[in-house]
Amino acid sequence: MKKWVLLILLLAAVFVGCAQNNKVQNKTPVENLQKSNAIVIGVTDKVTDLDPANAYDAFTWEILENTMVGLVKYKPGTLKIEPALAESWEVKNNSTVWIFHLRKGLKFSDGTPLTAKNVVWSIERVMRLKGDPSWLVTDFVKKVVAENNTTVVFYLKHPTSYFLALLTTPPYYPVNPKYNPNKIDSDQTAGGAGPYKIIKFIRGQEIVLEANPYYFGMKPKTKKIIIKFYRDATTMRLALQNGEIDVAWRTLRPSDVLSLEKSNFNVVKVPGTYIRYLCFNVVKKPTSNVLVRKALAAAINRKEIAEMVYRGTVEPLYSLIPNGMWSHLDVFKKYGDGNVKLAQELLEKAGYSKNNPLHIQLWYTPTHYGDTEADLAQMIKTQWERTGMVKVTLKSAEWGTYVDYARKGQMQAYLLGWYPDYLDPDDYTTPFLSSTANSWVGTGFANKTVDTLLKKAQEIPNQNERAKIYEEVQKILADQVPYVPLVQGNLFIVTKPNVHGVVVGPDMVMEYSYLYKVS
Amino acid sequence: MSRGIVQYIILRALMIIPTVLVLYTIVFLFMRVLPGNPILAVVGTKNIPPEQMKHLMHIAGLDKPLYVQYFDYLWQLLHGNFGVTLAFPMGVPVSDYLKLRFPATLELTIWSFTISIIIGLITGTIGAIKKGTIVDTSMRLYSIIAYTLFIPWFGMILQYIFGVWLHVLPTSGRISPNVNLHTITGLYVLDSIITENWPALVSSVKHLILPSLTLGIVLSGAYTRIVRNNMVEVLNQDFIRAYKARGVKDWKITWYALKNAFIPIITLMGLQFAILLGGAILTETTFNWPGMGTFIIDRIEYRDYNAIQGTVVFFAFFVGLISLIVDLIYALLDPRVKY
Repeated sequence: MKKWVLLILLLAAVFVGCAQNNKVQNKTPVENLQKSNAIVIGVTDKVTDLDPANAYDAFTWEILENTMVGLVKYKPGTLKIEPALAESWEVKNNSTVWIFHLRKGLKFSDGTPLTAKNVVWSIERVMRLKGDPSWLVTDFVKKVVAENNTTVVFYLKHPTSYFLALLTTPPYYPVNPKYNPNKIDSDQTAGGAGPYKIIKFIRGQEIVLEANPYYFGMKPKTKKIIIKFYRDATTMRLALQNGEIDVAWRTLRPSDVLSLEKSNFNVVKVPGTYIRYLCFNVVKKPTSNVLVRKALAAAINRKEIAEMVYRGTVEPLYSLIPNGMWSHLDVFKKYGDGNVKLAQELLEKAGYSKNNPLHIQLWYTPTHYGDTEADLAQMIKTQWERTGMVKVTLKSAEWGTYVDYARKGQMQAYLLGWYPDYLDPDDYTTPFLSSTANSWVGTGFANKTVDTLLKKAQEIPNQNERAKIYEEVQKILADQVPYVPLVQGNLFIVTKPNVHGVVVGPDMVMEYSYLYKVS
Repeated sequence: MSRGIVQYIILRALMIIPTVLVLYTIVFLFMRVLPGNPILAVVGTKNIPPEQMKHLMHIAGLDKPLYVQYFDYLWQLLHGNFGVTLAFPMGVPVSDYLKLRFPATLELTIWSFTISIIIGLITGTIGAIKKGTIVDTSMRLYSIIAYTLFIPWFGMILQYIFGVWLHVLPTSGRISPNVNLHTITGLYVLDSIITENWPALVSSVKHLILPSLTLGIVLSGAYTRIVRNNMVEVLNQDFIRAYKARGVKDWKITWYALKNAFIPIITLMGLQFAILLGGAILTETTFNWPGMGTFIIDRIEYRDYNAIQGTVVFFAFFVGLISLIVDLIYALLDPRVKY
């Protein structure tokens, strides 16, 4: 017996010793990071594809935008487009010919010279490989030509007033000639000519970036950025609390953000251009009846959703075009928020009553939009049923199945979300409302007036005239109600108190070159 | 080695083939019965024209009839090829991922396995030699509690205590991002020792402690119970009484009893190893451990048929192999076993 006691005591002593030793060592990584000028960022997103010819998700675009750069870019933190690889440009022939003049002496991050030929080669590669985002080029560009080493000319298929916004997206970025010309090169780390270069990439574990010595612009404030990938928000939050990461980026749970804010962490809130909305199938009963759609829109209380489901981390949204973007109108405000009385009147007109209630299925997907999704669906069900004239059955399907149902138009009412491809009202209207572009969403909405208006808005260069058209389109949207805008997401970045320089643009991309850490 | 044992090994190895085939068929069918496919899961709600969708389906080979897809993949399997990923990214050999992820799971499994056996042996033996006392009851209670612990919950408790509260151990990952390690086997502890990279050894051991302790404790419950029961049985046998009568020291008697009680424990080890791989999925998710568990969950999300099929087949092979090894150890330990 004595021996057992001794053994246990010995083990306990070893453990305590280890723990104390660890306590000392635990500080070491942090000190090392400060000395080596590195910042560790945690994310729950993934890098899907390092080839801009195929990458098509918000976080991968963030990595690409920090390691590559296009002819133009957003001025950090604003919607203003400024010169990048190109120092100037001209527009000719009714916005169908765009001529860009490159800076002199440009280089890729490995020192290879970057000329107009590289720009053309990269864009033609995107067109040829037909990856997921290639339509951002092929739908607009007829051909692209390098007139000399510093001049790139785009010949467009039709006048495109927002072509500069398109040019800020990764499919237009020149890539290092090491990229495979004939095949999607998903794990290629050669990158482009952005502020950082990739020095290590282990899929699902980490990606390490180092300042690009050949970058033409501002030198990054932190030499090394390490991004660690987490499977869920809880593990990432624990890693932040334990000092394993300096920044917790996309995406913490609303409750985590609130509790971290109360402890000693910095919380940076940035308005996002990400929207959540509800879709109605306008072809099938009962949502084919516009009165039903209007009634359901009136019964929804966005403020309650924002407070109860998202703990105040999102903003109510009354149009598909997000708050703060030019041409935005609060068109759905006319129905009010949680306007039960109006909803009842409309339902009565549609032939429903308390004894003959409307039976409707509301669909959601349980994981793709985070843990709050089931709560969101439940909240909408409650709000609709407050009318006393609606009976809601909640249905859910995993993402792969859910999108299949949506594309086939098999659901009556269903929740979706939208991350913009480019920052222009066109990207918040055409994909949803143009009958030639909205087959993916499965609502079956088609309106000739809207089609004509949207086409016209794409071609007019004058922003004021375009704004008038989008305002008109939004009014039709609120009259026809194929979609009900719900909320607009804010972005939250939680950092250790000594981390500063968080800059996130309206394209929801964090610019790592502004991040820095003080001792 | 006797002829009988060689024949047995060959027979057992051949039995792995129908097991794998049945599993592959089940996974293949289940994946296809559900609506949707990998391309849709990736494209999601992105505004991609139908022609491009067709093009992507063609590249992934999903436009072929089901039986063609079934036999195509089977043919690849027979050549030791697990196919290529169908999503995020498309076209990377599944075997590349297995090479990257399997060592992580193996390392976690080995550590957890060792911890569970050590704890099981200690607690079970204590319970047996203190039979009927409060110590015995405590060990039995420990066994039940450990067995019923929910891995994510227990893991999170440990993360809070040793990470957030005491700040002594990391809560996630395999190694600190600022430690560079040249990998040879993919088992970080072993690689650190081979390359004499001591900071990497410290970091990888620190990262291993919490996940392997979580999984080890949860799995130790079964050992505690079986070790205790077998020990109690052996301790009541005549030869033990004879030892006692001759004045053999207590610890020697315990050691002899433990050796005799070991055969059923070995059987349990074989069974537990398969469960261990399953448990590793939950542990990996809780501790952000970049192994096979987190890999297969990612792939299920994308409906990556090839990656899921490949991983399941690989697991089946591995479990088959382990149970074969366990059977052989069994024979070595127990001379009564004949093949």
